[in-house]
Amino acid sequence: QTNIDRTIFFEAQGITLKDAFLQVEKLSGLSINYSNTQLNDQRIVRINKANRSVKETLNVLLNGTSFTFKQSSASNILIIPKPQTNGKLTGKVVDESGAALPGAVIRIVGGVVGQTEDDGKYALNVAPGIYSVEISFISYEKFIAQSVAIKANSLTTLNATLKPSSNDLSEVVVTALGIKREEKSLGYAVTKIDSNQLTDAVSSNWSDALSGKVAGLNLVRSNGGPAGSNKIILRGENNLTGDNEALIVLDGVVINNSGGRRTANASDAVYGTGSDNMPADYGSSVNDINPEDIESVTVLKGPGAAALYGQRGANGAIIITTKSGNSKKKRLGIKFTSNGSVESPNRWPDLQYEYGQGLDGAAHYSYGASSDGASTSGTSSAYGPRFDGQMFYQYDPVTQTQGLIRTPWVPYKNQIRDFFQTGTNLTNSLTLDGAYKNTAARLSITNQNNTWIVPETGMERTSVALSLNSKITSKLNISAKVNYNNRFSDNLPGNGYGNQSLMYWFIFWQPSADLNWLKNYWVNGSENKLIEYPFSSFPENPYAISHEFINRSGRNGLTGNVQASYQFTNELSLQLRTTMDLASERRAQERPYDAGSRLPTGSYREQKIYGQETNIDFLLKYDKNISKDVKMIATVGGSQLRNKYNKTDLRADGLKIPGEYTLENNLYPLVSIPDTSRYRINSFYGVLSTSYKNYLYLDITGRKDWSSVLATPNRTDNVGFFYPSASLSFSLSDYFKLPKAVSLAKLRASVSQVGSGGTTPYRTSYTYSLASNGTYPDSALVNPSTLPNPNLKPLKTTTYEFGTDLRFFGDRLGLDVAYYAGNTKNQILTRTVDRSSGYNTAIINAGQINNSGIEVALNAIPIKHRSGFMWSTYMTFAANRNKIVSLPDSSIILRTGPIAGGQIVAKVGGSMGDLYGRGYVRSPDGQIVYDPVTGNAKITSDVVYIGNTTPKFKFSFGNNFNYKRFSLNVLFDAQVGAVGHSLLNYKMVEQGKLASTLPGRYSGIIGKGVIQNPDGTYRPNDVIAYDIDDYYRSHMGSENAEGSTFSTDFIKFREASLNYSFHPKWLVNTGLSSVTLGIYGRNLFIWSPWPMFDPEFGTLSGSDIVTGFEIGQFPSTRTFGFNLVVGI
Amino acid sequence: CDKDFEGINTDPINIINTIPEKLLAPSLVNTLSANMIRNRNFNNELMQVTVSISDGDATVMRYEFGRTWSDYLWNSWYIQINNFKDIYNLAGEPENLNPSYQGISLICQVWVFSMLTDTYGDVPYAQAGEGRNGIVEPAFDKQKDIYLDLFKKLEEANILLAKNTSIENLSDPVYNGNIDKWRKFGNSLYLRLLLRVSGKADVAPTSIAKIKEIVDTNAAKYPIMSNNNESAVLKWTGEAGVGAYVNPYVNGIRVQDFRTPAMCSFFINRLRDWQDPRVDISTYGDNSVCRLGINPTGSGMSGVPSGYSIGAGAVKRSYFYSSDQEVGGKAAGARSLQQSPLAGIIMNYAELQFILSEAALKGWVSGSAETYYNKGIANAINYWVPTFVADPSTAVFKKYVTEADIDWNAGLSEDEKMEQIHIQKYYALFLVDMQQWFEYRRTGHPVLPKGPGLKNGGVMPARMTYPVYVQSANPTNYQAAVAAQGQDEIFTNVWWQKP
Repeated sequence: QTNIDRTIFFEAQGITLKDAFLQVEKLSGLSINYSNTQLNDQRIVRINKANRSVKETLNVLLNGTSFTFKQSSASNILIIPKPQTNGKLTGKVVDESGAALPGAVIRIVGGVVGQTEDDGKYALNVAPGIYSVEISFISYEKFIAQSVAIKANSLTTLNATLKPSSNDLSEVVVTALGIKREEKSLGYAVTKIDSNQLTDAVSSNWSDALSGKVAGLNLVRSNGGPAGSNKIILRGENNLTGDNEALIVLDGVVINNSGGRRTANASDAVYGTGSDNMPADYGSSVNDINPEDIESVTVLKGPGAAALYGQRGANGAIIITTKSGNSKKKRLGIKFTSNGSVESPNRWPDLQYEYGQGLDGAAHYSYGASSDGASTSGTSSAYGPRFDGQMFYQYDPVTQTQGLIRTPWVPYKNQIRDFFQTGTNLTNSLTLDGAYKNTAARLSITNQNNTWIVPETGMERTSVALSLNSKITSKLNISAKVNYNNRFSDNLPGNGYGNQSLMYWFIFWQPSADLNWLKNYWVNGSENKLIEYPFSSFPENPYAISHEFINRSGRNGLTGNVQASYQFTNELSLQLRTTMDLASERRAQERPYDAGSRLPTGSYREQKIYGQETNIDFLLKYDKNISKDVKMIATVGGSQLRNKYNKTDLRADGLKIPGEYTLENNLYPLVSIPDTSRYRINSFYGVLSTSYKNYLYLDITGRKDWSSVLATPNRTDNVGFFYPSASLSFSLSDYFKLPKAVSLAKLRASVSQVGSGGTTPYRTSYTYSLASNGTYPDSALVNPSTLPNPNLKPLKTTTYEFGTDLRFFGDRLGLDVAYYAGNTKNQILTRTVDRSSGYNTAIINAGQINNSGIEVALNAIPIKHRSGFMWSTYMTFAANRNKIVSLPDSSIILRTGPIAGGQIVAKVGGSMGDLYGRGYVRSPDGQIVYDPVTGNAKITSDVVYIGNTTPKFKFSFGNNFNYKRFSLNVLFDAQVGAVGHSLLNYKMVEQGKLASTLPGRYSGIIGKGVIQNPDGTYRPNDVIAYDIDDYYRSHMGSENAEGSTFSTDFIKFREASLNYSFHPKWLVNTGLSSVTLGIYGRNLFIWSPWPMFDPEFGTLSGSDIVTGFEIGQFPSTRTFGFNLVVGI
Repeated sequence: CDKDFEGINTDPINIINTIPEKLLAPSLVNTLSANMIRNRNFNNELMQVTVSISDGDATVMRYEFGRTWSDYLWNSWYIQINNFKDIYNLAGEPENLNPSYQGISLICQVWVFSMLTDTYGDVPYAQAGEGRNGIVEPAFDKQKDIYLDLFKKLEEANILLAKNTSIENLSDPVYNGNIDKWRKFGNSLYLRLLLRVSGKADVAPTSIAKIKEIVDTNAAKYPIMSNNNESAVLKWTGEAGVGAYVNPYVNGIRVQDFRTPAMCSFFINRLRDWQDPRVDISTYGDNSVCRLGINPTGSGMSGVPSGYSIGAGAVKRSYFYSSDQEVGGKAAGARSLQQSPLAGIIMNYAELQFILSEAALKGWVSGSAETYYNKGIANAINYWVPTFVADPSTAVFKKYVTEADIDWNAGLSEDEKMEQIHIQKYYALFLVDMQQWFEYRRTGHPVLPKGPGLKNGGVMPARMTYPVYVQSANPTNYQAAVAAQGQDEIFTNVWWQKP
C-alpha cells in the first residue's frame, strides 16, 4: 500500500484549499507541493466527514479545478495542471487602425497570463471552464470579455480591438536617475510631454515646443539666429546670476554642462560699443536633439522631484527619453518623416515715414554741403525735413558721393523690412527599427537644412541616433544609446548693439534712404579694403555684415550611455551605468578690412572647444514585499562625475592680405586667449520607496555630494554637503469609496532640500591673469576683475510642495494643482560692486530668498461624440513670487543695463529681477513733472524702482479637435506682470525713427503731466516744448530708463497644426503602412504693448541668456510648415 | 570623496602668486589709456581743443553730458588703484622687499587718486581698492582729507626713492628703471597738487610754504624735473597690434572717428596766428604733417567756435589726421596723434615750469615768473618739435615769441599775467588727462569764449557726477557723500573749487 492509498478520516467545512492540504499533510505524513501562482489555494472547499484514501480525498478537493496530482517521491505529492484536458484560446489583438499590438497582455481571470506576439496573435492553453478575459496594453483601454467558454481539447477564438485610453491612470513616468515610477505613487509634480506634442508643430529648436505645455515652465529665447538657444527655467528665476537653468537629461546623460554648455567668445559683448565682434549664438547640443527621436519628455519641476540629481537638480529637470527599438516587433520598421517650413518676422516696430534725415526739423537736406546749404547727412536722426515733394541733393550710389542733380525727397516706406528674407527649414529623417533574437535596435538619421531671415546665414544639422537593447540572459540586460550630432554653419549672425551688428544698422537707417544704395558695399576702387556707408560712421553696411562678417561653426556632439542591469534575485538587482557627453567644436570669425575701430585691417579668429563629461554610477535596488499590503523598494547608489572643458582661441586681429582668412595671414603677432575648467562631483544617495496597499506611498531620499568647485587650492572644508527629501502620495479614490464620477483623487506632499556649489570652478582663489593676453614683455600681470570667495559655501534650497491630482468622469476632466513654497539660502551670486573696491564683480553667498508659487493644469474632453468627433482642451496657469528676506548688504547689483543707470538690484524686501534706473521726476500724485522752461520731462538724478522683469503669471490654453482621421490643434499662451527695458526703443526714439515721435513736429507739444510752481505746488503742464528731439529724449533718451521700459505682457497664438492620417486600407496597394500629412504654424500672432519685436526676448550675456534688458533684438519670426510621416 | 579636489580646483591658467614688477607696466598703460580716451572726447570738447560736429548725442562741448560719461574713468582708474596698491604691498613683503617699487606705487596712487578727486570731488580713498580685505562698499573721503594724505604719500615716496634701489628696467615703460627720475616726477607732481589747493584758505599757508620748501629752501631734498627728458611720459613705441605699448587711440578709436571732431578755433587759431612750430608744416613739419598732426584744410589751419547752437550748421575745418590718411603720398602713421609715440603724457617739464611761473608770480618762490614762463613755452614746443630749441635764451626762441607777440609783458596786472601763463600752460597740458579742465576750474584761465548753445547756465561743469550704479552698489556711502558735498550734479563745486 503506497502512502496515497492510506485511508484518512477527513472533513472540510468551508476552509481554504490551503488549510485543507495542511490537514491532509498532517493526517497522511505526506508533503503536498504546489505553485500558488497557478493554483488558487484560497479557494473554499467543502467535503463531508468520511474515511477516504488520500488519493480519493485529493481528487475531491481538486474537483472542478484544472489540476491533478502525482506522487513525485515516497513522501511528496506534487499538484500539477491537467494538461491533457486543456483547451486553447487564441486570437489577435489590434488597435483602432487595425495594426497588430505586440506585447499586449492577456489575462484569464483566475487562470493564466500571456502576451501577444509581433503579429498581435496569441495562443494560450487554458483549462476548461468559463472565464472572463482581460486584454490590456499600455495607454489603451482594457478590453474585457465575459463568459468565455473554454472546452477541453478545442480551440476558442477571441479577437480584440483596443481603443486608446485618454489618460492612463497608472501611467509610468521616468523620474530622477531614470527610475521608472507609477505616476500615482509620486509625491511631487511631474508633467509628461509626448513626442507628438513636440513634432506636430516643429520648431528648429525642439524646446520651443515646450511653451504653453507645462505649467511653471519659462523659456528664455535668445532668438539670436538659426541656432537660437533657449534657456529653460522652472518655477521662476530665483537665482539671477548663477545657475538657474533646469537640468537637461538626455537618456540619463546630463548634457547641460558639456555638450549643452553655451560658450561665448571673450570680448564679444552684446552691448558692443567697443567695436569688437558681436556675439553669435552658436547654440549647443540641447538645440540639436532631434524631436523625431524623442519618445517622451518628463518635466520634474521642483527640487523634490529632482533631488536625486543632486546639486544640479536644484532648478528642476527636463528628462528626455529617446525612442528604442521594440523587442516584440520582429519585422523591420521603416519610417520616413519630412518637415519643411518657412519663417519671416511676425511683428515690426512702428517706424515713421513722414520726416527724413536731419535735425530740429531743418528746412533743407543736403548730402554733403551743396548750394542748398550745409551738409545735414552726418546725423543719424530723422528729425529732418518733412516729405513734401521737395528735391534735394542726395546720395548717389553709383558715384558714392553727392548726386549731381537734386532728386525727389521721398520716404522708402517699410523698405527696411526687405533686408530680411524668408527663412527656410527642411528636415528629413529616416528611422529603422527592429529586433533579432534578444536584441532590439533603432536607428534614425536626420538631416536639417536651414537658412535664416538674415541673408547668408543658416546652418545644416545631421544627427544619428542609435539605440540597442539586448537581453543577454533572463537576468542580464545590456542597453546602449548613442546620439551623434553634427552641426555646421558657414555663417551665424552677430547679435546686439554695436557697429558690427545688423540691428544697430536697423536703428540708424534713414526713412529717406533707399536700401538699394547699400547693396554695393565696397567703396568704389577699394574693394575688400573699405566699406561704403553713406551716412555717419557708426553703423556698418548691413550687406557687408551679412556677406563679409562671417561667424563659422562646425560641431560634433556625442552623447551616449551604456548600462547593464543584473537581476540577482526577484528582489535584488544592480544597475551599472556609464554616460558620456562629448562636444567638440571649431569656430571661426572672419572680419574684412574696415570692420571697425578695433579691426581696421580685418581679423581672423579661431576657437577650438572641447567639452567632456563622464559619469559613472551604480544603483543597487532591493524590491521587497514586506507583507501583502506593505511594499518597499530600497535603492542606493553612487556616482562620480568628471567634467572638463577646454577652449583655445587664437586671434589674428589684423590681416596682411585682405579677405584671406587664415591664422598665417596675421599682420600682428597672434593673440591667444585660453579657457579651461575642470570639476568633479562625487555622490552617494539612497531612496526608500514604501507603499501601503494601493493608496499610500512614501519616498524618502538622501544624497551627499562632494563638489570640487568649493575646494580651494589648499583646503576642502566646504566641499561636502548632505540633503534629504521626503514625499508622500495618498490616493483618496483608492482609500474611500468616492462617487463614480471621481476616477482619481490624489493628494501629494513633499519636503526637500537640495544643496549646490554650482559648476563654475576657480572661484575660491585669488589669481592674477596675464595682462592684455600676454602681449607685455616679461609677461606682466593684472589683478583679477572678479573678487573670488575662498569661503564659498554651497547654497541650500528647501522646498515644500503640496498638490492634488483629480480626475473625473473617466478622465474626461482632470485637474492638477501644485503649490510650493521654499527658500534658498547662501545663493551663490556674482555681484557687481563699486569699482572703488578695486573689482568689477564679487562672488558672494547671498542671504535668503523665498520663492513660492502655484501651478494649475486642467484637462478636459468637453465633447466626445460617437461620430468620431472629439474636442479636448487643456489649460495651464502658473504664478510665482519671490521675496528677498536677507542679504549681506542693503542692496546688491546683479546686472547692469546699457543706459540711464538701468540695473537689476536685489534689496531686502524686494524680489529678484527688480529693475531700477533713472526715471521721471513725479509729483506726489504720480504725474510726470515737466521743466517750466523747456517743456521737457524732468529726470531723476537718483535711480528709482521701475518694475520687475520676471513675469508674475503665465497662462496657456490649448485645444485639440479630432474628427475621424483629422486632428486640429491650437495653442495660445500668455504672460503678465513683468517689464523690460528696450534699447531699440530708446535709440530709435532718440533718432526720431518711430511713429511715436511724430506728435509735436514741429508745432510743439505739451507733455501730459504737471509743472512745479515756484511755491512748490503743481499745475497741469502748459509749457509747449518746441525742441522736439530734446523733448522725446527727455522721455525715452539715454538718461531716462523708465521711459523706454515697457510691459512685456503678451498673448501669443503659439501653435496651430492640422494633421491627417490616411486610412490603412487606402495604403494597401502602396506598400506603405501609414501616411500622415500635416500643416502647421508657430508664433502666428503676438498681442502685446511691447513696442518692438517680441516681448519674450532673451539677451545673450556671455554664456547666459538673460531678460530685463533688450539690447538690439532680432525680429522674432512666424513659421509655417508641413509635416509628412511615411511608415513602410 | 574629496580626493585631489584642491588640485582640481586650482586654476591652471591664472597665477596665484606674483611679484611687484609684474604689475607695474599694465597699470601705467591702462591708466594712460583711460586718460587719453577721455582727454580726447571730454577734456578737449570742454576745453575747446576740438568741437564735435554732430547731432545732440555728444554735447560735452555744450556743457551738457549724460551721467553715462561718469562710469568709464571711475571704473578704469579704481581698477588701477587696486593694481598700484598691490605693488606697494607686494614690494613690502620680505621676499620682494623693494623701496623703489613702493615709492613708484605711491606716486602712481597719488597721480590716479588726484585725478579721481579732481574729477568727482569726494571719492573713496582710504578704503579704496580694499575689496580683497572684505571692503566692497568703501566709504567716501573728503577731498581735503584726500589731498592731505596724498601729500603724505609723496613725502614717503621721496624718502623711499632716495634709497635708489634698482628695479627691473623692463617693468618700467616710463623711465626704464631710472629711480632718480621717478623721484623728480614725484616731487613735480607734489607741486602740481600743492598749487591746486593753494587757493583754499584753510590749507593755503601750509601748501605755499611747502612749495617754497621744495623749490627754494630745501631743493636738495626735493629734486624736481630739470628738462624735457625727465618728463613723465610713456612712449607709445609699439606698432599697431604689436606688443602692449600701442597708442590707445589705435585700438580704442576707429580711424574715421578719430578724424571726425573739428579743431576748435580757440585752440588752433592762436597757434596758427603765432606761426607756432607745433603747427608749422614747412619748417618744423614731418613729411608734410605738422607735429601735432593737424590737417591744414585747403586754406590753412582754422577751427570752429565751440558751443554753437544746435542746427547752426557749423562746418568742420581743420582736424586731427587719423593714422590711415595719406599725406605726402603715404599713410600719416605716427605723424598722426593717433599713432604718435609722444601722446602718453603723465606730466611734462613744461607744465612744471608754468607751475613755477605762477608760484613766482604770486611771490611764493624766489625765481622769476618770466624765466619760468619762457622755459615753459620753449619746452612745451620742444616736446613736440625736437628740432626747436629748449633754451629760451636762444635767438630762435626770442624771434618766435616776439613775432607771435606772446613775450612776457611785465606791465600787465596779476590776473592778466595769469592769463598769459595759462594760455601757454593750456598748450603745455595738451593731451595731459584732464589737467586743462582742472586748471580752468581752479583759475578761470585761459578765458574761454562762450558759445550761444551752452547749457548748464553757461558755466563750465565743475565735476562729473558719480556713476549711477554706485547708488545701488554702494548706497550708504553714496548718500553720505552727497549729503556732505552737495547735490550729485555737474554744477556742484568740489572742495578746492568752493570759495
